[in-house]
Amino acid sequence: MKSLALDLHPPARRRHPPQWFPIAALTPSLLVLSVFFALPMGMMIGMSFAQTETLSPTLEHYQRFFTDGLSLAGFCRTALMSLLVAISVTVLGYPVAYFLARSTTRWRAVVFALALAPELAGVVLRTYGWLIILEDRGFINDLLLHLGLITSPLPLSKNLFAVVVGLTHVVLPFGILSLMTSIQGIDPNLERAAQMLGASRLAVIRTIVLPLSVPGIVSSMLIAFTMSASAYATPALLGGAGFKVLATMIYEQVLFYIDWPFASVMAMALLLMMLAISFVGVRYESRRRSRASVSSGGER
Amino acid sequence: MNRLISILYWVSLGAVLSFITLPLIVVVAASLSPTSAVTLQPWEWTGRWYADLWSSRWLDPFLASFRIATVVAAISGVLGLFAAYAVVYERIPGSDGLMSYLLSPLSVPQIVKGVAIVLFLSMIGLQGFLGTPALIAAHVVLALPFVTRMVATSLANFDANLDRAAQILGANKLQRIRLVVLPMIKPGVLSGVTFAFIISFNNIPLSVFLVRPGDSTLPITVINYLEYSLDPVLAAVNVASMAFILTVIFLFEKIGGFSAQLHGGSK
Repeated sequence: MKSLALDLHPPARRRHPPQWFPIAALTPSLLVLSVFFALPMGMMIGMSFAQTETLSPTLEHYQRFFTDGLSLAGFCRTALMSLLVAISVTVLGYPVAYFLARSTTRWRAVVFALALAPELAGVVLRTYGWLIILEDRGFINDLLLHLGLITSPLPLSKNLFAVVVGLTHVVLPFGILSLMTSIQGIDPNLERAAQMLGASRLAVIRTIVLPLSVPGIVSSMLIAFTMSASAYATPALLGGAGFKVLATMIYEQVLFYIDWPFASVMAMALLLMMLAISFVGVRYESRRRSRASVSSGGER
Repeated sequence: MNRLISILYWVSLGAVLSFITLPLIVVVAASLSPTSAVTLQPWEWTGRWYADLWSSRWLDPFLASFRIATVVAAISGVLGLFAAYAVVYERIPGSDGLMSYLLSPLSVPQIVKGVAIVLFLSMIGLQGFLGTPALIAAHVVLALPFVTRMVATSLANFDANLDRAAQILGANKLQRIRLVVLPMIKPGVLSGVTFAFIISFNNIPLSVFLVRPGDSTLPITVINYLEYSLDPVLAAVNVASMAFILTVIFLFEKIGGFSAQLHGGSK
């Protein structure tokens, strides 16, 4: 039908791209993603079920993951670390996000730049900064030893604490942005009204701002969790051998033990953890949307 | 009570902002520190670590990263532009499904993509592909969905009436694409390309599987060295590479990238 309509045009003006052009434009992207993403992912999933020597189907690697103790511990460490980062990013990000959402002074631009600048610096630079600060002979221990407050260095690096600090720093700008967007959506008149009716600052925050910004809190925690669970460089450098997570254990399986099936199983564990968390996020968002549309429909 | 709350608020704001800036300040200070141990004597400065950067030890990985990121930005820019054009502008059949397929790599952690790609290469006997070719392929897989999404967003957001007006005034499709659509989505394409360059240049979780000795990227060279030593030359490398990234962003911004997009978005 469409081609018939086109044919009615005089030939001189018919300089349309041919019908096949959009498909030809899309093909290279589909090819690249299929060869270097879909196919390798399929191979990896297949490999996780393959017997190491014969490649016949087996569940032995999954069984090993649940029974060898180390892998499951790594899985739990990853989840714990990501949860702690999610909490600290949200708690630390909240005052900054509130300021950015409400301030109208010229300081807003300064704080905005300060809050987001680290994102441009890259993960290595920031992790290196934290290494200098937290190391046994680093900035903090140096200072405390000088002041005579401690006699031997505090164990600040190569552990959960260092990784959580480093990752919080990496993820914080993303948490701030999602909290800020959510707080900006709250009508400032609600806060003013409550204040005029005699509510204290604390009461305004507790009964108005916090409850209304729950969607922002949820999305900030989800972003922080997924970014932390899949981070590699920060846990590798700040955690090292003292605090191994799935990402660093996968790296070891591939490059030191060259155990493809088991590396695939660990990668599957990380992937499933991420997909589960994203699923929770999608479910929460769609339930919130449907509730919001029901309540706003009822008001009208 | 109100006073106490507002003091607490300002103190927490200040504390968080210092937390954010502290490591950056420390790294800049370390890059200027005279001794190889990073200590508390910031009142003596030296530029010698920056002078040390001018050696093949740091220049080679920098140039490798630069080459890879340029190729990745070019490939994913062109592919992403064409893909978004086909799916969003032409609305070819099954465009929703195709879009989800194009964006699907975003939901897989980089380290998992890295394992999959290195496994794939070794299974089909292409270990020789490791190094620059594999890095380019993997970074394109990483960057392409971001570029496609950014171009698709600007294609979906620009005022379709402009395109219709051009059509009514007698412009054929090629003219409309060249004179109306491309100029309108240029900021989206440019920020996509800049973003692709930066994520390739800074990438660690994919690159870590795909480099090989003598054919490594700058971030991987730095983290491999960092595992043994906190040498201040590393601080200088990091500061220089951040300055480089800022320059890249500034240049693309000059050509008409992000702020133009922000203005376009605010209308």
